[in-house]
Amino acid sequence: MLRRTILKTLVAATCALAISTSAQAELKGSVNYIIPFGPGGESDISARFQQPFFKEKFGQDLVISYKPGGGGAVGWASLNGLNGDGHTIMGVNLPHIVIKPAQKDVGFKTEELNTFHMFHFTPDAIVVTADSPYKTLQDLIDDAKANPGAVVMSGSGKASANHLAQIKFDKMAEIKTTYVPFKGTGAAVTALLGKQVKAEWGYTTVGAKQGDAVRMLAVAMEERHPLFPEVPTFKELGFDMIGGAYRGIALPNTASADTKAMWSKMISEINTDPVFRQKMLDGGFAMLDVDADQMDEFMKARTEEYLKDAKEAGLIK
Amino acid sequence: MNNSPVIQGRLGSLIVTAFFFIAGIVALYDTTSYSDTDSQVFPQTVAIGLILFTSISLITQFLKPSESEGFGSGIWWRRALLIVTMLLACAAMPYVGFLPAGAIAFAGGLIAAMHDRWSARTVLVYWGSGIVVMVAFFTLFKFALQVPLP
Amino acid sequence: MDFGSFLSALTLLNIALALFGVVAGTIIGSIPGLTATMAVAVLVPITFSMEPASALILLGAIYTGAIYGGAYAAILLNTPGTPSAIATTFDGYPMAKRGDGDLAVALACFASVFGGLVGALALLFLAPPLASVALAFGPVEYFWLSIFGLSLIASLSSGNLMKGLVGGAFGMLLSTVGVAEISADIRLTFGSQTMIGGFDVVGALIGLYCIPVLIDLCAVPDRHLKVEEGVQKVRIGEAARIAMKSKFNLVRSSVIGTLVGILPGAGGSVAGLVAYSEAKRTAKPEQKFGEGEPDGIIATESANNATVGGGFIPTLVLGIPGTPPDAVILGALLVQGVRTGPSLFQEGGSIVYTFIYGLLIATVLMLPAGLLIGRYAYKSIVTIPKAVLVPAVGFMTIIGTFAIRNSISDVIIMICLGVFGWVVGRFGFAASPIVLGLILGPIAEQGFVQSWTIGAATNNLTGMFFGRPISQAIVAFTLLTLLVPFMIARKQRKAELEAKA
Repeated sequence: MLRRTILKTLVAATCALAISTSAQAELKGSVNYIIPFGPGGESDISARFQQPFFKEKFGQDLVISYKPGGGGAVGWASLNGLNGDGHTIMGVNLPHIVIKPAQKDVGFKTEELNTFHMFHFTPDAIVVTADSPYKTLQDLIDDAKANPGAVVMSGSGKASANHLAQIKFDKMAEIKTTYVPFKGTGAAVTALLGKQVKAEWGYTTVGAKQGDAVRMLAVAMEERHPLFPEVPTFKELGFDMIGGAYRGIALPNTASADTKAMWSKMISEINTDPVFRQKMLDGGFAMLDVDADQMDEFMKARTEEYLKDAKEAGLIK
Repeated sequence: MNNSPVIQGRLGSLIVTAFFFIAGIVALYDTTSYSDTDSQVFPQTVAIGLILFTSISLITQFLKPSESEGFGSGIWWRRALLIVTMLLACAAMPYVGFLPAGAIAFAGGLIAAMHDRWSARTVLVYWGSGIVVMVAFFTLFKFALQVPLP
Repeated sequence: MDFGSFLSALTLLNIALALFGVVAGTIIGSIPGLTATMAVAVLVPITFSMEPASALILLGAIYTGAIYGGAYAAILLNTPGTPSAIATTFDGYPMAKRGDGDLAVALACFASVFGGLVGALALLFLAPPLASVALAFGPVEYFWLSIFGLSLIASLSSGNLMKGLVGGAFGMLLSTVGVAEISADIRLTFGSQTMIGGFDVVGALIGLYCIPVLIDLCAVPDRHLKVEEGVQKVRIGEAARIAMKSKFNLVRSSVIGTLVGILPGAGGSVAGLVAYSEAKRTAKPEQKFGEGEPDGIIATESANNATVGGGFIPTLVLGIPGTPPDAVILGALLVQGVRTGPSLFQEGGSIVYTFIYGLLIATVLMLPAGLLIGRYAYKSIVTIPKAVLVPAVGFMTIIGTFAIRNSISDVIIMICLGVFGWVVGRFGFAASPIVLGLILGPIAEQGFVQSWTIGAATNNLTGMFFGRPISQAIVAFTLLTLLVPFMIARKQRKAELEAKA
């Protein structure tokens, strides 16, 4: 036990050393990791997954705090006023950071956020209860065609990933469903399990968390999720839908280039840890490795797509 | 002389009710700019309710004046000192840091609430305990609870 | 039941953790601004290096302690330390003012322990069946539940119903300020960026309840709380007798607390308010709620501690957190690799049972620990000279409000709201209706909009709002609460007339 601890400390020390020599920036104490939502959501849980790995690899505490309000806007609007010395980071979410500022003035702009790494995404999925009459996606489409508007689906929030997916899918399948926004994925799942709605626009994480209680009809991924080999992708079923909610981390824009590079490297290192990857996959997440160098390109492509979808949906002008 | 608190109570009550009435109107006007009916229906209903309740309240107050206590006989400069120093502390916090800013509020509150004569002993004990309380809380929040205090 | 998990809960480490958790939680909960959620969130990383069951026991003990600790500030400073203790202020502060603060604190401790035990026992024996309560509550039920909570305004503002209603409506408007929770509009900010986040409930509570007390305290030279000179005997016995006499109230409030705790959209504040409302509705004529009635404290405190056990039911059975602290604990569990679900309860000797026994032990430990800390808290608040008390509490409100979202503008909003609350309070608009509106407004709004959307989609609006049995029951209770006081008053008037004739 003691030997293992010593070994771990040694490894951590060498890692820290490697980091501090490769870049001038270094960590001098614990890091404040702000989640701009309340606890219990996907953003919180993925941050909690990172927490022990960060401590193990870099020897510093990653302190998670919550700054909820305005669907994340309160946190993001305050980000650039925070200390940019690398000891304060904040979670960022797509499509939130694109759609919110496009709708109204919420105190920040998409391009002002200094995002340095996108580390995972939760693919969109249609979820039904285990005893639902919808066995396949086609069953749901057939019902919606026969009774326009009567297929009521819950989801998390308006103008959110869930809502955009619903609008996009309705258009593709030429159906009309009713979307009921709830406060967060947890509430949307509760409504599904309580049979208040017929289906839910959720994420693969819902399938992982609820296990046998629910069934996913399709997931919006390139290939099937390793945790759910039996669930088809939308693509297989003829709908070109790949996407979901993407999560990453940003620094205040006063942070130096070195600090940014250091952070990008550190998060990449956690992200490539096989144990971490396995934990995330078991939780239903899908991994993503967009580091600081690829960020501009990634953000540009995503932003264009979200704005186009939102415009078509009438959510923004 | 006995009459003035009663009049203050009645008049103040009318003014406060009128303020709520205006708040209802403003809120109702604000709802017209919302783009989503889902976010419109609730504040609209509540604003109309508020306008309705305040109207009834105003009418009944004219018929039967309200018996509220008014501001009472407290000392105004003490109240003002407490609040002003607390706000001052907030304004100063980003520049001077949390502890010095908190000390401003503490000093203000201490002077505001001190009704006895200062003696050498009370000066020492009160200000001393103030410093102890502040440092203790600061340490608890900053280091045990890891709140990023400025 | 399996004794294996009971014994593993009884290890020295686990008992020490439970005791530490209860004490730390009580202290944290008693500081306005430091909520159970925050206390639990800060301690999660410590638990990564522990056994899952021990970690859960520590987190659960902190949670239950914090909910109890909220009562101190409510009773002694008229400021709910956590939102769960709102209704504790209604009778607790009047009791403290007339010199019964020590009695109130002891009562709160007995009620909290009892409620905590009921909630934990429900979790132990009935968790899987009770979890279905969480699912039976749809948007409509939440809507009606919030209306039921709002009906408390009528009975709180006896003598001036209109002013109460005005306050309630204003509170609901305050709750809409900022970016709308589920739709995307920005409401009532008037272009100000600081208002985008809206009014944080905890900050608003501190402002509306605590600042007026401070303003009044420093304006006049009187003592803060009345102290009975010479009476130095411990009033635990008296508190125990009162609690025993109100056993029916205790049981009912604990059951209400457990059930409301199961509902993911409600929480301790709603549980306390509902239990208080029920206690008041069934009160004997000589009981004066709102003026220092011990039954008011018993109802609130037993109900809010029962939500701890109740809230764990959907968390552990369905993976849906019952309350915000549960959400943090659920996250910690996922990281530990514990999968929630009914199977957790079926596998004998699993960590869940160890945890539940740990929670029970922690609740029992809260009795001595709570009484001890309570006495100390009472003594220090009573004996500290006012000149030190006011600035110390003022400093606490600043640091506590800042800690909620690490934001200075929240502190400024808190102070301004406090001054506003003090001014309107002086003219008959009490803080409690505003707070009720602020807390229940969002529940009412979301429930209404969701029900309306679903009802319209299925062409069944009336059926949606009035056709469901649970809704009908809540509507009936609401009507009872609203009408019973009127009927009693009418009967009394009739009796008086007859006596005269």
